[in-house]
Amino acid sequence: MNSAHVLYHMVRADFLERVRRYSFLVTLAGALLIAYGVATEKIWIVVGNGYRGVYNSAWIGALMAICCSTFLSLAGFYIVKNSVQRDVDTRVGQILAATAMRKDFYAIAKTISNFAVLACMVVILMLSAVIMQLMRAESHSFSLWHLWAPFIFLSLPTMLLTAGLALLFEMIPGLRGGFGNVVYFFLWTAGLGLGATGADDPSGMQLLYHSSRETLQAIDPTSPQNFHFSLTIGGEQAVRTFVWDGIHWTWPVLLMRLLWISLGFLIALAASLFFHRFDPARSWRRKPPVAGKQTSTSIVVAGPASSAVIVPAVHLTPMQGRGGSFAFGRLVVSELKLMLNGLRWWWYAVAAGIVMGEAVSPAAAVRSGFLVAAWIWPLLIWSQMGCREQRHSTTALLFSSERSISRQFPAVWTAGVLVAFSMGSGFAVRLLLSGDLHSFAAWLAGAAFIPSLALALGVSSGSSRAFEALYTVWWYMGPAHQMPGLDFMGATPASSSPTAYAITACALLALSYFGRRSRMAYV
Amino acid sequence: MQLAMQNVSKRYGGGNWALRNFTLNLGPGVLGLLGPNGAGKTTLMSILATITRATEGTVLWNGVDLASSPDQLRTTLGYLPQDFGVYPNLNSVEFLEYLAAVKGLNAAISRRRIDELLNLVNLTDVRKRPLGAFSGGMKQRVGIAQALLNDPQLLIVDEPTAGLDPEERVRFRNLLSELSGERIVILSTHIVSDVEATATDIALISQGTLIAHASPEELLREVEGKVWEWILPSAELNTARQQYLISNTARRSDGVHARVLGNTPPAGAAPVTPNLEDAYLYCLSQHRSGAAASVTTEVLA
Repeated sequence: MNSAHVLYHMVRADFLERVRRYSFLVTLAGALLIAYGVATEKIWIVVGNGYRGVYNSAWIGALMAICCSTFLSLAGFYIVKNSVQRDVDTRVGQILAATAMRKDFYAIAKTISNFAVLACMVVILMLSAVIMQLMRAESHSFSLWHLWAPFIFLSLPTMLLTAGLALLFEMIPGLRGGFGNVVYFFLWTAGLGLGATGADDPSGMQLLYHSSRETLQAIDPTSPQNFHFSLTIGGEQAVRTFVWDGIHWTWPVLLMRLLWISLGFLIALAASLFFHRFDPARSWRRKPPVAGKQTSTSIVVAGPASSAVIVPAVHLTPMQGRGGSFAFGRLVVSELKLMLNGLRWWWYAVAAGIVMGEAVSPAAAVRSGFLVAAWIWPLLIWSQMGCREQRHSTTALLFSSERSISRQFPAVWTAGVLVAFSMGSGFAVRLLLSGDLHSFAAWLAGAAFIPSLALALGVSSGSSRAFEALYTVWWYMGPAHQMPGLDFMGATPASSSPTAYAITACALLALSYFGRRSRMAYV
Repeated sequence: MQLAMQNVSKRYGGGNWALRNFTLNLGPGVLGLLGPNGAGKTTLMSILATITRATEGTVLWNGVDLASSPDQLRTTLGYLPQDFGVYPNLNSVEFLEYLAAVKGLNAAISRRRIDELLNLVNLTDVRKRPLGAFSGGMKQRVGIAQALLNDPQLLIVDEPTAGLDPEERVRFRNLLSELSGERIVILSTHIVSDVEATATDIALISQGTLIAHASPEELLREVEGKVWEWILPSAELNTARQQYLISNTARRSDGVHARVLGNTPPAGAAPVTPNLEDAYLYCLSQHRSGAAASVTTEVLA
């Protein structure tokens, strides 16, 4: 059997396993959401002095391909970054490890499988682009080449790069978990920034930048002096249009794109260096079972042939009642212990530093620095909420307990809120002392909103990744950059609405409650 | 104390019936639930543990319908699922303390109980070790301990001895026997010897239906005079397998000693005392060959 045949079957099996999961439908829905955003002019590109291209095949193709490259390279990463973990969870990995499969082969197969999932979304957007041009009917010249070439040369190489990076992050122990998800977000932000330096960027935005600038120069000579290029969601609207014929796919341009494809495969090969063939002894933070000393003193071996084992009779004391009424506080403390278990001393040291900083630093530094840091630092604690039971297979143990939905569920939320309270306590004390009750209300709403969001996403997705990805983006745009409406912590009093976030927190809490309830046979 | 299942059926997506018209009444004692893979044992246990809901039929715990009041049972339920996990960063005490809190046990009572249970499952010496460093058998013992935390009146254990070493298996069997006087224990397993050692009642289940419910003695009586030992040359073994139901073979210097089940013995075979494995295989083969009706009627009667 040749290598290509083996590779094909590895990719095929992995791909089929993924596309038959419910999460794949959610993924496709995400792609359609982007298409909808572009079609309804919620996402657009403005160039020069308020120009946008006439919606011909070239402009629609480029616009949607750039959206695809930028947004899917972020969301897609979180979607596909589970291919190796799935082999661990399903224990298929151990079977694969016992075969003659090479490490680099496995890495390439996983990268291609990741790419196949992302490429499905690109294909959806390619088809949507056709519908969009027909719907808008702003230009009647239809060219499939102009419409689809940007997807092929811009989006697909970006997706391959994303696929390779997802695998690399999964293979490196330190980047495998939530920390890696946060690191990738900043890497992605840096990737977008690369385009601003004039260098060729993975998404290909620079190509569109240069091409549209050249075209505009011919139409409006004043434009290049103050050239402006923005991919925007609900931002500045274009007021003028120009006809753009698309990117010229010259050999140097194609070679540059080929370089990104090669980089994707190189990253996959680099990932194989960290692949330990599912060796449990090399797994991240997992210690091998300890042989341990013999704990029993009751073995009596009657003889070498019969090896009879005599174990003394056992007795379990009957319990006299349960010791009073149910103590909610004790369960909250238990949940809190569970959340904080495994954290190292330096985590607490940084947390203490942040809280101290909130209390003693100048107000401006607190709002733009310490408070912002305070509610991203416990990200990986909150992200376990609502999905910990599924991740560790303890669902059956909890669901078979008495009133788990009315006891354990609120306890988890309360513990999450307590973490938010603790991390933001320095700032809260200052607000109360200064009598700034509006900001304090915003702070309270923010502290309730974060665990509610974590719980809702954890329960609905069964994974920590959804919260890690969404919250990081939200935090970056809202509290860190004070984008109106997205600042949930009242970093700037004008940018937050405590009532809206309190209502959202309640809605999310209700959503997670009903989500959890729907998974239980009996409530 | 009574657990009653009345015409319980469970249908999964795709129209597959995992359980059909399952009716069984249980009082204190150990019920050994035996059946081949895919027979519906785990589905039945999930229904009884309130994890999944029956598509049809009712389950009554002391006369109270599980569908209307599941917490009546949950308060006194101990459940060890076939596949369960632990939180790897917690040690066994912390994990059990957490589950005790979830089950609503008082702090002082749960501390005493956890100490006793860890001693019972032989984990006292490793009580401070993270569960992530535990072997499969040690995790299984933690699972057994958590099932007994609230001193359950109904204890449901699915493949409890999987992964346990012989000593721990014996210890667990002793524990089940000790517990059985005061509560209902449902033990699902493939290991017939575990059932033989502990069960006061046996339920045989195949293709989602109950094919027999009887005491071990009654089941053994069913196969009395139907188990034979036949010594034959090893070359003839394959042919013999096609003609007779052979439950076990052992190679000896004089040939293969085959344990044959059937109403008519092969020529030269001698009768032997039946064991529970013989009874199980005989009932199952009778059920599969379509003669189950008479066997079930006889045994259930």
